Amino acid sequence: MNSKPKPAFASDEIVLSIDTLFKAFGDNKVLNGFSLHLKKGENLVLMGRSGSGKSVLIKCLVGLIKPDSGTIEISGNNIADLEQKEMDELRTTIGFLFQGSALYDSMTVRENLEFPLRRHTKKLSQNEIEELVFDTLESVGLKHTVDLMPAELSGGMQRRIALARALILKPKIIIYDEPTTGLDPITSKEIIELMNNIQEQYQTSSLIITHDVDCARVVSNRIILLLDGVNYAEGTFEELSSSKDEKIKAFFK
Amino acid sequence: MADKKSFLKNIGSFFEEVGDLSRFAGRFFKEAVSPPFEFRELLKQCYYMGNKSFFLVAVTGFILGVVFTLQTRPTLEEFGAVAWMPSMISISIVREIGPVIIALICAGRIGSSIGAELGSMKVTEQIDAMEVSGTNPFKFLVVTRIAATTLMIPLLVILGDFIALIGSAIIENMKGDVSFQLYFNQVFDALKFSDLMPATVKTFFFGFAIGLVGCYKGYNSKKGTAGVGKASNSAVVYTSMLLFIIDFIAVFVSDLFYS
Amino acid sequence: MSNTAQNFRLGLFVFAGVFIFILAVYFLGNRQNLFGDNVRISSVFKNVNGLQMGNNVRFAGVNVGTVRGITILNDTAINVDMLISEKTAQLIKKNALATITSDGLVGSMIVNIIPNDIFIEERIETGDTISSISKIATADMLTTLNTTNENAALLTQDLLRITNAINKGEGVLGALIKDEALLDDVKKSLSNLQQTTQTAKTSMFELNRIIKEVNFDDNIAGLLLKDTVSVRKLATVFDNLETSSKEIEQLTKNLNAFSETLKTNEGILNYALHDTIAVKNLDATLKNAEEASERLNENMEALKHNFLFRGYFRKLERQEAREERRQN
Repeated sequence: MNSKPKPAFASDEIVLSIDTLFKAFGDNKVLNGFSLHLKKGENLVLMGRSGSGKSVLIKCLVGLIKPDSGTIEISGNNIADLEQKEMDELRTTIGFLFQGSALYDSMTVRENLEFPLRRHTKKLSQNEIEELVFDTLESVGLKHTVDLMPAELSGGMQRRIALARALILKPKIIIYDEPTTGLDPITSKEIIELMNNIQEQYQTSSLIITHDVDCARVVSNRIILLLDGVNYAEGTFEELSSSKDEKIKAFFK
Repeated sequence: MADKKSFLKNIGSFFEEVGDLSRFAGRFFKEAVSPPFEFRELLKQCYYMGNKSFFLVAVTGFILGVVFTLQTRPTLEEFGAVAWMPSMISISIVREIGPVIIALICAGRIGSSIGAELGSMKVTEQIDAMEVSGTNPFKFLVVTRIAATTLMIPLLVILGDFIALIGSAIIENMKGDVSFQLYFNQVFDALKFSDLMPATVKTFFFGFAIGLVGCYKGYNSKKGTAGVGKASNSAVVYTSMLLFIIDFIAVFVSDLFYS
Repeated sequence: MSNTAQNFRLGLFVFAGVFIFILAVYFLGNRQNLFGDNVRISSVFKNVNGLQMGNNVRFAGVNVGTVRGITILNDTAINVDMLISEKTAQLIKKNALATITSDGLVGSMIVNIIPNDIFIEERIETGDTISSISKIATADMLTTLNTTNENAALLTQDLLRITNAINKGEGVLGALIKDEALLDDVKKSLSNLQQTTQTAKTSMFELNRIIKEVNFDDNIAGLLLKDTVSVRKLATVFDNLETSSKEIEQLTKNLNAFSETLKTNEGILNYALHDTIAVKNLDATLKNAEEASERLNENMEALKHNFLFRGYFRKLERQEAREERRQN
């Protein structure tokens, strides 16, 4: 396993940008003018303590939560200006891996994977769908689970299936919400490896939310530290981990 | 003083919830009439609610008919009015007892399972996942389920009523030497459209209430497993209460129409 | 389970439910003649006795249709529209009669179509109006029956009393039941007699006591006896008392004799009805008894006043004095 930190990504094409985002729940100001830019093909890791607003931020990205102010641009579209239908279309270009996998309990693995396919690519034939499902399952190494129910799978397998579901529409951007949480170290490493493979194989840009330092070191091209609702620090793993700032150092202990 | 304050707060939150539920119902109608329509999911839900509840409803209905007949018979015997058994049983089952009992059974079975399912989907971010993958979860989960209960409860009630009458006919056949033909002849003699129609119409409302409250409670479930349990539990409690309120209104309205 | 199997089962379920519902609707509709070919006829009644839309129409006791409409034409005419199935309509003639009756004692109202005795060929058609006849409705029948019942109950009670009386030999009452005046007399007399004898008894007792006092003591009563006027009065009283007692004795004897006759005779009722003389005799006897006892009563009253206080005499004296004054 490649455990060496990756270099900063060279591309200048920005696929996702967040500009001075504010979001408060009552008196609790979660995001306080947060900004970030995700470049094409890069793995951007967003680190922050629990409750620092990471999950709120990514829910703002996909329109699950509406920010109080600030703009979010994805592939050149300001999501605040989009109609519901356009938003749904844009969402098909974003893969989302949820913290708890969020596989549909009432459906088999196959139905879970077919779910986004059937709703967005209506032109596909039954055979093409079948083929796509198996290909994607193969890429996460779980071809044999196709007719099982999610409850019959282990946590790591569920996470991989969820990853497959996020990948099946061949998204340009993948958002990982704590991809290694709740997994044992070995399974975590498998998932991290998978994430790197995906980056290489599909040329996707990824926004990865984690507080797992190992994960951050291995997958990141760039790291942003979310502290007190703002973009506190930004840089490669090596730059940030060697920082003298006490607040930054606290993340890498 | 503190009691009074918390009492007022309870009243306040009650109306808040009623208002919220009404808005939820309004959203249902808005989303139900606009495409896309989730027919496959609707059929699936109809299957789970209709077919899978049928056995329960059939057993309940049969026992209802049998017990009701056995309990009523001695009283009518005292008046020498045993010949009225089929008419009496059929009118009370078709008009009131059948719809209410079967709706309550379904509130327990279907309402709670909707509450639990949507509650856990909410808690485990499956609803978010659905929205993120470009599917309107309200349409996919809520509209289909409410539509399914609204369509299936009337069917279940009709079948349950029928099975209850068969149960009653069997008892009459054994105890009173009333042939099945005579029994059902008398049943149809006693029943009028004004008995059957309001009773059937109200079951659609029963079904709607079961689906609506179940979905509302599940969809707005609080985080955590306790939230799911609470959603499922309060779905049943509120639905049962709502069923009686609807029944009261239905009886009142049909009384106005047919008097 | 595959999707198709699921859909098949769902279809089966839905079909079963809808089928039963449609069956129920069909049967109910059939009962109310909603489907099929029907003939619409009407009839005009004075009173429909609570007939409602949807009530059955019977032809010779068989359900053949339903009431479809009831409209009030004016204060004495109510039009009833009926739907009758085509099949049976062919059997109903134009001169058939409609009547409203109730289905059983507590059932709903029905229209009964009765074939007319006069045979004609023409059959009813849509739009025809057939004649109506009014029968006594059950309600009226029940009222009449009730009154009759009450009367019957009274009659049997009376009869029972009479037969009881006859059986017990209290023939006088039984025999004389028709003659109310006589019966009254008997009743009155008997009660008077009882009262009189009671009073007589107490009076005699009192009298005895006073007489004893008069004999052994020289007191107010003794003084009283010296008063000649009073003595004379008292003598009259005693005379009267004696007469009365004798009369009572006679009367009782008579009554005894009469009842003896009644007892020995078979069929008192018979006897009383046929032997009018006996009845008359009895009547006379009773009147006598009444008179006698009345007189006795009067005397007793006087006695009471006399012996307990002297007021009665004083009253008489004053009266006499007044009369004397008036005469003077």
